Order: sequence, then structure tokens, then C-alpha cells
Amino acid sequence: MGMEQQAFLLENIAPFDRLPLTQRRKIAANFDVLYLTPAERFVPKAPALFLVVKGLIQESQNAEVVARYSEGSYFNEASLLKNTARLAGHYSVVEESILYRIDAAVFQQTLEAFPQFHAYFYASVVQKLEALYLSRQQLAAAEIMMEPVYSTPLLGLVTVEAEASVAKAAQQMVAHKTDACLVVLPLEHPARPQNSHAILTSTDILRFTAQRQSTPVSADTTPALTLANWPLYTVSDEEYLFNALLKMTRYQIDRLVVRSSQPSRSGDYLGFLHLKDLMAVFAHQSTLVWLNIEQAHSVDELVERSAQLDKLVATLHAKGIKVHYIAKLVSELHQKLLRRLVGLLLPEDLQNHVALLLLGSEGRAEQLLRTDQDNALIYADGLNAQQQQALIEFSDAFSQAMLRLGFPTCPGGVMLNQSQWRQSHQAWYRQLRVWLEQPTEAGFLHLAIFADAQVLFGDADLLQSLQSLIWQRLEENPLFLRHFAKGAMQFTTPVGFFGGLVTRASAKGAVIDLKKGAIFPIVHGVRVLALEHQIPHTNTHRRIKALMDIGIFSEEQGVELGESLNYLHALRLDAQLRGATQAEPLGESDLAVADLTHLQQDILKQALEVVKQFKQWLQLHFKLRDLL
Amino acid sequence: MAFWHRLMKLPKIKSLKDSNYAFLFTPTVPGDYVCFDCESTGLNPRTDRIITLSALRIREGEILSSQALELWLAQPQRIAPESIKVHQIRNQDLQLQEGPLLSEQEAMSQFLHFIQGATLVGYYVTFDIALVERIVQPWLGVRLPNPRLDVSELYYRHKAKHWRHGIYQSSVDLRFSAILADLQLPNLGQHQAFNDALMTALIFCKLQRLGDERC
Repeated sequence: MGMEQQAFLLENIAPFDRLPLTQRRKIAANFDVLYLTPAERFVPKAPALFLVVKGLIQESQNAEVVARYSEGSYFNEASLLKNTARLAGHYSVVEESILYRIDAAVFQQTLEAFPQFHAYFYASVVQKLEALYLSRQQLAAAEIMMEPVYSTPLLGLVTVEAEASVAKAAQQMVAHKTDACLVVLPLEHPARPQNSHAILTSTDILRFTAQRQSTPVSADTTPALTLANWPLYTVSDEEYLFNALLKMTRYQIDRLVVRSSQPSRSGDYLGFLHLKDLMAVFAHQSTLVWLNIEQAHSVDELVERSAQLDKLVATLHAKGIKVHYIAKLVSELHQKLLRRLVGLLLPEDLQNHVALLLLGSEGRAEQLLRTDQDNALIYADGLNAQQQQALIEFSDAFSQAMLRLGFPTCPGGVMLNQSQWRQSHQAWYRQLRVWLEQPTEAGFLHLAIFADAQVLFGDADLLQSLQSLIWQRLEENPLFLRHFAKGAMQFTTPVGFFGGLVTRASAKGAVIDLKKGAIFPIVHGVRVLALEHQIPHTNTHRRIKALMDIGIFSEEQGVELGESLNYLHALRLDAQLRGATQAEPLGESDLAVADLTHLQQDILKQALEVVKQFKQWLQLHFKLRDLL
Repeated sequence: MAFWHRLMKLPKIKSLKDSNYAFLFTPTVPGDYVCFDCESTGLNPRTDRIITLSALRIREGEILSSQALELWLAQPQRIAPESIKVHQIRNQDLQLQEGPLLSEQEAMSQFLHFIQGATLVGYYVTFDIALVERIVQPWLGVRLPNPRLDVSELYYRHKAKHWRHGIYQSSVDLRFSAILADLQLPNLGQHQAFNDALMTALIFCKLQRLGDERC
């Protein structure tokens, strides 16, 4: 038949892409072609699946737009799957369209003959998401990022006894062509039993050799143990290389000890993963530039390095890396950048007397692109006037520098250069009591922001005591949390009774607000639960994990919530990246439904359903009906 | 004049040699169109032969491509290199066809049964009809009585409507790809009888709708 090109078209459309070419050809041979003009109501004459070749079709139910189908998407499958015409939506032609019609009989035959095709239409949201990530990852199959640790060359494992001399350890290392070795910790060693081994690296030996000039000691007599370091930082051999890199960045180390994940050899050490080998693997990634933030000596140099950040995010996202991981890397790098910035700007004598906090999404480590500065400063009680003046100057310089690094100022003024967000420990204590004991809308908002605080720089104890205060006060006054939880209900989730998307008209066509209707309820709901159960994590995924661990969430509920949040963030990032390249960006959190493929819309609907269920769950948990 | 000229040349059922094909003279069903396209050995309809013919029925605005007719004809001579450059059907490609290669008469019999009394639609359809009639006329004694519509002509008239109240433009780009581009229709790959017929059908559908809107 002549429908060769049409069979190729199917190759790019899920789930037709999982059919063999012969079946795709067979389907294509059964295409009829329909040409429709705008404003026309489109009523299928007989049960069939329709594939949009060009144009835009809108489906509505009870005068509510439930979906839009553009090039490469298909519709009307619901009436075929359930085999009832009643489920067919009302279709109208928004733009002049060309459709292919696939006869119901052909569709049924394909469903029956190909289990994978069948499974697609009956899969759960988690399964569909996995399939989506998989397909994106397949696009970047050559990309090493998501390869497991065991796919890279490891340096051989060398272990020496506790009594071994430095010289012996060095010989062993040379013999095994490696630059580090493990030293067995003796049983009576103070670091036991938490640590079984310490690590001795070539750098340690180098330092030792350089030091010898002043105090002559022999490598033959010095025990290796005196130079070694612990604890060991390890990584499972099945972990993604990406996460191994994160770990090295986080602890500022060059080597990770790789441990086996096989049940039979669980915990056995296999060898060393060295940063330079990892870097060779990542060679083409702009990540490299990022790792030498530490070497920047001026704000200008930092500005230069930060400029590449958004590009990095776009690259990683296009490669199908889960947004959760991207956010982790980006937060890690942001923090490094900002920590370096504080180091450059804050006078050294003050560095031990303050805690600089990241708040909001940055504090939760969920920021992808640079958004508003949300930060605060706690300083130790009893600083003199001169020191306080120095802090004011630092705060102004810091906010200015952040602006140059691409973080816009916060319209709500949640920044350390505002006096409300730069206070002494005592003053903060009083401030929090006001927020907790005299609830107001503004107080709720501020507390929500503060609850996500993470110490970027300085004395973590300053924050910890304030956090204990919050937990203690909330325990004493459970009604507060119930009112606080109401916030998660304040925006309706844009999913209709029949599971369709509820859109809002805008200049860009039908849009939905993902942030208010979907992301915020999850983030806030989880935040309130974390406060209730005194979970110290700020990241929503980690909070969900902790809530699963203590049995508040069932395994299934937690996974579904986390995956849905991931997906919503990914869609938002998509929209933001698209907005960044277009002359007219959408409202910050608006998502144009027409930009989504059929599969994306489908998963979005299910993700929103998860949000809706979570809200209902919160309502029960906090007995919100009695309050409203 | 043109009308009388046409009337004189109209095929008559009494000249039909085989009464099995009387259905060709049944009154045309309004809204029943067959869009077709041939790839041939050359551009002279008197001497060149059809290699492949594709026909699609258009009914109530729907292009019934699933019931398309695709015919491949046996060639007594090798296809000339110049025409292979146009349609890219090589001699060996003929051997790869799934169905049998048909004789000219078998092919036309299938084609005539397919079109029945439908209005024929094509791009420079006169040429394709001439190719068909080269076979049909000696065999059945008649030329095709079916009404015909040429999309290039329809397109020209569509463009000409804009000029009534404006400055006359003497030339309209009537190349197939230009018409597709101007009407914003996807080019599915040209010079394959099936795709050509399909795209011609799309052009036809769109021009019809555009015509409707003006009424």
C-alpha cells in the first residue's frame, strides 16, 4: 500500500511506537483522511480512533474543556476501550485540521494481538510515568549521566592492616595502580564500631612527605593509620553516576568507595571511584565549569560561572533526567555558589556568629531555574553596634550580588536586607512566637516560608533552637496546624468531576495554573505534616519519604505523591524553558494545554487526580470540614 | 460555443461495445468523487503507458483512503530513464509489488468498476484521463462519460476571486507543491501515485470548503 509515510508517522506516537512495523503498516493502510474546518462540530460517524495530522481539536464535556489534541495526538479512544458511544466527548474543530481515522475493528484487533499496546491503555499513572522517563532516556541512550556506577572503570581496592606503615601502604597502592587504600581500624580504635575502615589517599602521603622537612620521621615507621581519614564515603555500584557526582560535590571529596549491591556480597567494598574518571565520563557536560566555583576569587568570577546554569538545567531536562535529581544538583551548585559568595563578602570575624538561611523553594532544594531571592539571617545575641552595622552592609552587598548572579529581588521582601528577615536570635524567637500565637494570614505565610529554612552558611544551632520552638509550640496548640493546613485547600485543583482538565481562557488559549492548583497543595500539605511530626527535612521528597517511614503515608500513596510532584515540576520546567525562549512568556506558572502532547495531558490528568485525593486525605487527617 | 463543442464530443451510450459497462452512464451521484493519479512512462498520452494508478473515493467530505484502489500494470518495454527520474519507479520495483502486475484491460476494468458514475478529480486530470482513454476507447468504443474537475483549475478560480475588486495578476503558481504550500497542506512526499492522489484529494476538499464559505 501507499501509506508508507503514514506508517512512519505512527513510529513517533506512543503507544503505536511499540508495535512492529508490519502492524503499523497495517494500521496505516486502514487510514481514512478527514479534512475539517474550524468551528465545525465534529461528530464521529462510527466508532473510530482519530489521529491529528495537522490542526487542533478540542474535547469538552458538560461545557467544560477537558482536552485539546494537536499534531501527533489521538482521541476518542475512551469510547473504543469502554465500547460505548456514550463516553464519546464533544469535539469541536479549533483550527483547520487533517485527521486520520483508524477503524474500530483495526484498533480492537491491535489491542488483542499486542499485549504491550493493550497494557498502555490500562496502565496506572506510575507505570505511564516510568514509560515516559524511559522513552526520554532512550533518546539520550548514549548519555552516561544515568549509567550505573559499575559501568565506569574503578580503581583497584587495596586494604592494609592497621599496623602497616605509610611506606607499605604506598607500595601497595603503586603495585595496584591506585591512589588510595583502606586501612582497617583496630577494634579498640575510638571510631569503631561505626567505622570499620579509614581511607589513606595519595594526597595524604604527599602532605606527609612535604611536612617531613621540619620534623624528620620515616615513612617506614609511621603507621598508615595516623594519616588516614574517616568516615568513608561510599556509593552503591548500582547508583547513578549522576548521584555519585552529587555526593562528591556535597562532601567536597575526590573519591568514593564503591560497595557491592549484590545480596550475597552486600556491603563488600569493590574499589574506588575517582572524580577524575567520573569527569572524563562527563567530559562534555558543562558541569565541569561548575565544580571550580570554589576557585572564584571575586563576585565577577562567580557571575561568569552562574551564567551557564540555566543552560545546564535545560540540557539535563532534555535528557530525561528526573526533575528531582536536577533540582538536587542545581541546589547543590547554587549553595556552593552562594556559600562562596558569603565567604567573599562576610567579614571573617562575623562568620561564626550568624546563620544565613535559604527559604522557600531554595530552602526545600526544589528550585530549578533561578527565581526570587528568599533568604534570611539570624545573628548571635550580643553583637555590638559596629558588628551589627557590618551585617547591614554585608546584607545589602549580598542582595546586590545575588541580583547580579541572576536571582531577582523578592517582591514580598523576604530578603536578609530587610530588617524583619535579619534579626538576632532573641528577636527571631519573639517574632516566631508572634506568628505562632497570634495567627494572621501574613503570619501563616511567613511561617510557611520559615518552615522550609535551610542553613546555607554559618552556625546551624542558631536555626535548630528556633525550629524546636516551632515544634514545641505546635505540639501545645494542635489547632494551629489544622488552620495552617487549610492553606492547601485554598486553590481548586484544575481537574473536573469526570477527570478532565479545567482550563482558564487567556491570550495563549486554554491554560491551567500548575503552581496554585497542583504543586502548592502537595508542597504545603507535606510541609504541615512534616511540622506535625517534627521531621527536620525541608525537601518535599525527603519529607514524603520520612512520612512513609513513620507510617503516615502508605508506600503506594507516598510514591504516587512523589512521582506526581516530579511530573508537575517537570511540566512546569518545560513551560518555563519554553517561556524563556519565546518573546512573550506566559504567566509564571501558567501552562498552555495546547503545548502538551496527548500522553502528557493524560498523565497530567492522573497527577491532578492524585493531588485531589491528597487534599481529601488532608481534609480527613486535619478534620478540616469542622473548621471550614 | 464551448458548450456545443463539448456536447458534440460527449460519449454516447449507444457506441458502448460492452453492455456490462453501461453503469458508466448512470447519472452522477452528487457528492461522489473519485480522485486519481497515474504515474506513466512519459508525457505523451497517445504513446505513453500507465505504470501505476491510484484512486481514492471522496464521499461527504471524507477521503476513504482505506478503500483505495492501487493498480500496477505490466510493462511490455523497459521504463525509460527520463521518466524514472520523475516518479522513481525503477524496473525492478515493479517486480517487488505484492499484487500481480495487471494487463491494461484488466486494470481498466477494475478502475471503471471503482469509479462507477463518480465525478473524476485530479491535478491536470485531462492528462490522466487521456492515458486511461487510450486503453478504454479502442476496447469499449467510448470515451469516459464522467464529469471531471481539475484542482489546478479550481485553484486558479479560487485565486481569481480575489482579483475581481483588485488589480489583475496575470500569473498564478499552479505547481503542485506551490498549491499545497499556499493552502497550508502537508506535503506527504510527491510522485508516488497514492500520495499524489491523497494530496490532490486534500486540495480538492479544502477548495470545496473555501468555496462553500463564500456562498
